[in-house]
Amino acid sequence: MFAVRRRTVYRQTSGIPGPIELLREAIAEVGSRQRLIRYLVVAEMKRRGSDTIFGNLWWILDPILQMVVYVIFVSILLSTKQQPDYPLFIFAAILPFKWFSSVVTDGTVAVIKDTALIRQIAFPKIILPIASATGGVVGFAWGLIPLTVVTLLYGRLTPFILWVPVIALVQYVFSVAAAIFVSAANVFFRDLGNVAGHLLRLWWFLSPSLYSLQQFDGLGFVKAHPIIATLARLNPFAILFEAYRAVIYGSTTAPYAPPSGGPDVVGLVGLLLGSIVLVGLTTIFFKRLEPEFAKVL
Amino acid sequence: MARLKPLGRDDGGPNDAIVATDLGVQYNLRFNRKRSMRESIANVVTRKPPERFWALRHVNVHVPHGESLGVIGPNGAGKSTLLQVLAGIMRPSEGSVEVRGAVSGLLTLGAGFDQELSGRENILLGGAFLGLDDKVTRELMPGIVDFADLGAFIDAPIKTYSAGMRARLGFSIATSVDPDILLLDEVLATGDATFREKSKGRVIELVKSAKAVVLVTHDMIWVQEYCNRALLLEHGQVVVEGTPDDVVAAHLERTAAAKAERDAAALAAGLDPRAR
Repeated sequence: MFAVRRRTVYRQTSGIPGPIELLREAIAEVGSRQRLIRYLVVAEMKRRGSDTIFGNLWWILDPILQMVVYVIFVSILLSTKQQPDYPLFIFAAILPFKWFSSVVTDGTVAVIKDTALIRQIAFPKIILPIASATGGVVGFAWGLIPLTVVTLLYGRLTPFILWVPVIALVQYVFSVAAAIFVSAANVFFRDLGNVAGHLLRLWWFLSPSLYSLQQFDGLGFVKAHPIIATLARLNPFAILFEAYRAVIYGSTTAPYAPPSGGPDVVGLVGLLLGSIVLVGLTTIFFKRLEPEFAKVL
Repeated sequence: MARLKPLGRDDGGPNDAIVATDLGVQYNLRFNRKRSMRESIANVVTRKPPERFWALRHVNVHVPHGESLGVIGPNGAGKSTLLQVLAGIMRPSEGSVEVRGAVSGLLTLGAGFDQELSGRENILLGGAFLGLDDKVTRELMPGIVDFADLGAFIDAPIKTYSAGMRARLGFSIATSVDPDILLLDEVLATGDATFREKSKGRVIELVKSAKAVVLVTHDMIWVQEYCNRALLLEHGQVVVEGTPDDVVAAHLERTAAAKAERDAAALAAGLDPRAR
């Protein structure tokens, strides 16, 4: 419909700018379009609210229902000794992962969902995955309500729960990188969405979601190959789940006792730095492909 | 017959709002259609060379401030691609384009609107897409609302709008931002007769106030009446450039010739052109 360049003079040539230049461009674009991100997030919320009967109530219902499903599933199928207060134990993982998987699924369509927008308006497209990932925060924030309730129910609510926003910030940076990557890649490979669904499920079960990292270490083949235990600790979601669990659930060995030392800060800082690098790399990837979007869509 | 201008390299004068030099846009057909990974991997494995296609090639365009340039040509000639490059939506594969001034483009009406938001909210969203400061958009709001003339609908969600109402709002936003350069793609035929008159008036106003306009259209009358210059695109190349009357005449002549040729070929193949 419309396209504007506020810069009074712009010049485009066939050459592609270098990675540093692309990164600088992206930072300037996001900095100057914060308002657009906000409007897009609000519009997305409105759409969600109006399409469903329960509207935003789904943000609360969904993780609870998922928790119930897993509790039943694990109780019936697996006879292994469960963690005390198992529902809370897995809820601390369900909520953050539900956030991440919705960011990835929304991210895959962030660029392709409005073809006309891409073809007709000159605006920094990187806003789209960032807005989509930021919109996911709202869902997570709603989920904090049932989280607090379940934690209270099991009498495990401690001031350590105030760590949750800090851990969530690390996860946010990581999920922005994921959203930027899948949104650009999906323009060229439309079946990425199908692949992503399966990869997410696999990732969920390979991460210490329904079990603890300690339990994983106790498995026969992990004992035989200690390298697997080391690798498992490099999984971003191993770091995140363990951190969430440390501040929400507390320690597994001493039920009903306040958590001993809070989350693994070193692991979180490492993940944050790694995620920042990932955001940079995926941004360069996105910016390199961006000029082709209008031709492909 | 139109005067054929030499189409050499041209850096343009200081008065030019748009200077496009040796512009080329290439499409890689490997990605042009929605492809799946299976097909792409198959293409890589079988070492199938990528199919490429030039939508525009060796195009030189310059538009001085205060000029209204009409771009005509058959479907698929690259007219819309040219506007997309001028708007900064596409990066040229070859050559360069320089645009001096704030560009507002009305490429298709209705893009960028959010169905759930009201007309007013969509004006704010549109302003944000255009990169306008929120304060500026809010200042422009009364003028945009007034020109679109949607009555009480301005506070209703866009999904309740008719196509014409949507077009009116889109046109109103794009022309209210006081652009130095206005890009229009076949959008003047929208809305009812009253709004068409009104939008014509707005475009003429913009042209008069020393703004540059590039207009892509199939409406020859528009080109002849409101453009000072025109160019004819065919197969991604500028065929004729000159006064609107000359270029329109050349276009009609070439279209008739092409049609006669097709008919002759069909006749030769034993088909009656009128039977098709």
